[in-house]
Amino acid sequence: MPKPELLIVGGGITGLCAAISAAQQGARVTLVDAAVNAGTTANAGSLHVQLQSRFMRLYPEQAPNVEASLPLYLRAVREWDALEATHGPFEMVRKGGLMLAEDAEQLAFLETKARREADKGLDVEILDRAALERIAPWLGPQIIGAELCRDEGKLNPLAANIRLQAVARSLGVSLVRDRITSLLIGSDVQLRGETDSYRADQVIIAAAWGAGDLVSGLGLALPSRAEPLHMNITEPAAAGIEHLIQHAERSITLKQLQSGQIVIGGGWPAQSRGNHAVPEVLATSMLGNVALAGRLVPGITGLRVIRTWAGMNTTIDGKTALGRLAGAERVIVAVPGDAGYTLGPLVGRLAAELAGDVPGDVDIAPFSLARFAA
Amino acid sequence: MMSDPVTFFFEGEALSARNGQSLAAALTDAGQRVFRHTGKGSPRGVFCGMGVCQDCLVSVDGQPNQRACMTLARDGALVQRQVARPELESKADFDGKPAQPLAARELTPDVLVIGGGAGGLNAAAVAASAGASVLVLDERKVAGGQYFKQPAADAPLLDAQQSDGADLLAAAREAGAELLGGVEIWGAFAGPLLYAVAPDGTPLVLRPKQLIVATGAYERPCMVPGWTLPGVMTTGAAQTLWRSYRSLPGRRVAVCGSGPLNLQVALELARGGAEVRLVAESAPSPLKRPASAMALLLAGPKLALAGSGMLLGLRRAGVPVHYDTGLAAIAANTDGSLRATFRRNGREETTELDALCMNDGFEPQNEILRLLGADMHYDPAFGHLRCTRTDSLSTSVDGVYAVGDCCGLGGAPAAAAEGRIAGAAAAAACGFATHEDLWSSRQALAGARRFQKRLWALHDPAPRNLDTLPDDTLICRCEEVTLGQFRNGMADDADHIGTVKRVTRVGMGCCQGRYCGPVAARLVANATGRSLTDHSYFAPRVPIKPVSIGTLMATQEALDAKA
Ligand SMILES: Cc1cc2nc3c(=O)[nH]c(=O)nc-3n(C[C@H](O)[C@H](O)[C@H](O)COP(=O)(O)OP(=O)(O)OC[C@H]3O[C@@H](n4cnc5c(N)ncnc54)[C@H](O)[C@@H]3O)c2cc1C
Ligand SMILES: Cc1cc2nc3c(=O)[nH]c(=O)nc-3n(C[C@H](O)[C@H](O)[C@H](O)COP(=O)(O)OP(=O)(O)OC[C@H]3O[C@@H](n4cnc5c(N)ncnc54)[C@H](O)[C@@H]3O)c2cc1C
Ligand code: FES
Repeated sequence: MPKPELLIVGGGITGLCAAISAAQQGARVTLVDAAVNAGTTANAGSLHVQLQSRFMRLYPEQAPNVEASLPLYLRAVREWDALEATHGPFEMVRKGGLMLAEDAEQLAFLETKARREADKGLDVEILDRAALERIAPWLGPQIIGAELCRDEGKLNPLAANIRLQAVARSLGVSLVRDRITSLLIGSDVQLRGETDSYRADQVIIAAAWGAGDLVSGLGLALPSRAEPLHMNITEPAAAGIEHLIQHAERSITLKQLQSGQIVIGGGWPAQSRGNHAVPEVLATSMLGNVALAGRLVPGITGLRVIRTWAGMNTTIDGKTALGRLAGAERVIVAVPGDAGYTLGPLVGRLAAELAGDVPGDVDIAPFSLARFAA
Repeated sequence: MMSDPVTFFFEGEALSARNGQSLAAALTDAGQRVFRHTGKGSPRGVFCGMGVCQDCLVSVDGQPNQRACMTLARDGALVQRQVARPELESKADFDGKPAQPLAARELTPDVLVIGGGAGGLNAAAVAASAGASVLVLDERKVAGGQYFKQPAADAPLLDAQQSDGADLLAAAREAGAELLGGVEIWGAFAGPLLYAVAPDGTPLVLRPKQLIVATGAYERPCMVPGWTLPGVMTTGAAQTLWRSYRSLPGRRVAVCGSGPLNLQVALELARGGAEVRLVAESAPSPLKRPASAMALLLAGPKLALAGSGMLLGLRRAGVPVHYDTGLAAIAANTDGSLRATFRRNGREETTELDALCMNDGFEPQNEILRLLGADMHYDPAFGHLRCTRTDSLSTSVDGVYAVGDCCGLGGAPAAAAEGRIAGAAAAAACGFATHEDLWSSRQALAGARRFQKRLWALHDPAPRNLDTLPDDTLICRCEEVTLGQFRNGMADDADHIGTVKRVTRVGMGCCQGRYCGPVAARLVANATGRSLTDHSYFAPRVPIKPVSIGTLMATQEALDAKA
């Protein structure tokens, strides 16, 4: 095969959208993906914009990074709007997300949060019980109010992934299954994989939890960590839940897909079996996560859970890592920050534009890799 | 005879049932075959008769998604066809509903046996008589497993097979084993730690010292266009209707696929009064293979004679047995009756039927074993996984034994012998010596395995080649995915069954991939040229069977209260 101008490592949502964007610019693109533990094939399809309480609680030191990124999340959901318009349908619904409060303290927390988010341009509002009653009659009686973020939404990631892969193929992107083990920079980039070796003028590393290892020899200490997470799905019910549901204090996301199935997740842990094996489901997560969902939305308690799964999320420092590698400028790193499926399309496109020296519409300086220089 | 007939309501119409009958049986007696419609509007009814396919779902007293084959017809019950998407309850429905969860029971028996069939009951009897505390859990309300399935409620025993089963149940009880029926096991985790729910809704948390898995097998269907129509059911479903509930699947019946079960059930149904129009066996006639038939006779004269007695009985009952004959397609008439097309030597023949029974081999119910990480290997002769076991039938997982058909088809006598061996081993591991004559059990096991090998040489236990099936054949009943869609889904990226699942939705429905999974695994293996292993199948995940959110909440609350 002719040498690609651009080789992308990692075929999740970030790599896929980078490939599409680069191919649209006219580049010859190869996408090499190990196809193990992609967050993209395991995720819940929530389009997150407001600050996730789970994240603020788990990683308080990273919360300022996420808050600084709020405008990026707004851009990211608009990127999804554009993708849906050109390549959809992905069963996308943007009716907003509700973050629930069960007591006055939680509601006060949401009020402060909403003010800070409004300052960053988010469309947020605090709803009292009466207002909730009108849009979400299936909520538990203990819910006293909620923050509604109208920018949020949901989609079916399976539908989106399939369509975007087809788009990449139709644009001539060559999709290769392999795991890259090393990069060597010279007059071009030489990559060694488990089954083949490759050369390219430029490389985008969109390998999520695998990114840190790939760049560690290139003077970058990128602390990309694999985080195994748990998900549940029920049998279908009549359409009734339009919003993405979260909680002010507890870890949960709940939404209804177009199929009528309810997807319950929100960051409950799974058991890692190493980065190259699928994580194992934990009883405590299944029980805790589903029981919480039933308590918040009693209307679903008659439904049966038909499947659980576990997938690999990636965390760094809460903020997207996007930029050229100092000293190895042929290499670009593109790892989205928290809620990476929401950010993936935008981060992927920006990485492709960086590779093509196309002036972007977002200032990426805040996401520079300089903060990880070894 | 059966006392206290009950009256229940189906779609508002009063129907009567015999005491102890399942809803599925009572509805079948009433001529009702359509229990629900799928999301795409296709009618569905009883298919597996054993709680696996989830196609018999109805709503009972407002509670949706109840399996009619596993639910008793209760007096006064309001039964409704299941709608594809039940309404969510709103505040008005759940306000004021007492949400008092039943206290969870934590059980720590020496030996926990899952599955109360030939294998499980023998294991329980041996382990309990050695002095171990033994608990047997079974999902069905009717005890005995497949071979020994008992009549419901107070119906009399049908034959020696049922009275042997009754004796075995009595022996297990007398030895001190506790037998619980109607228990839904939804979780199996390392430990072993298991979660279940008792019929009254009590959450069960089980931490046994030793675990014996004896969950049996379910049936492989003949996947042809029309195999999901109401009135088409597995041979075992028809057998359960008759043996446990004295209901016939229909008046005009045919039985197809391959194997001795089809012959036995055809005869049972004929004797029960059904007009059995034919038995279609895909293997050639044993008369064409005298050497194999003789080998079978030598391996087990008694059972082989019983088998030829069955053939004789069928002839006397006027039931033709067509060899080299396969099912080609099924269509529905406007009145709901069926038109089945069979193919024999390239010629097609159509038969009008009320019910069509199919059994084209067996698939082991190995989900608990796979969840616990027990080592499996593929058996190409039977086309399914077998669990790797030691001589004492322990698996690769510490403290976990596996016996009977859940390890790969072996038949009831082998399951019984394996149960006795594993029961003794599990009791010994808890410090209880047995007086069990293990030498006899091992001899019996070796004999039963020899017989099975010869028996299946006369049938056709390997899965069918799907290459010639038309694209519009459904392979996933639940998500209504056709073979054509699956083939397309493999075209881009056939690397793994999980990838094709995400593209086609195959295996994402309520039966959790039990019917499409084995087929999908084979199709992907063919396409990639890789041989089949445990990893070729859908990854094992909880819940083992669909479990209601309410049950999970009750379990969590009970655990919280204890903590
Ligand atoms: C259970 C779960 C639920 C989630 N829910 C949501 C949600 O609702 N909304 C949201 O916005 N986000 C969610 N996320 C996060 C989101 O899925 C991820 O952040 C996002 O998919 C990351 O996309 P990516 O393309 O950057 O990386 P990934 O999708 O993780 O893809 C990385 C790919 O790179 C490959 N790779 C790694 N190393 C190498 C190598 N050396 N050579 C070749 N290939 C390699 C991997 O095998 C993988 O295929 C969830 C994550 C999980 C696990
Ligand atoms: C439908 C069917 C009909 C058959 N009929 C005959 C026949 O008429 N004659 C004949 O010779 N052979 C028949 N066989 C074969 C024969 O019954 C088996 O070889 C024999 O029953 C194997 O015994 P076992 O103990 O392994 O399993 P089984 O007897 O099948 O017992 C397994 C038990 O485990 C229970 N179980 C399964 N999963 C779970 C779970 N997750 N939680 C709780 N309980 C569970 C089941 O409800 C069942 O009662 C039949 C097989 C099938 C599948
Ligand atoms: S017939 Fe009831 S679950 Fe299959």
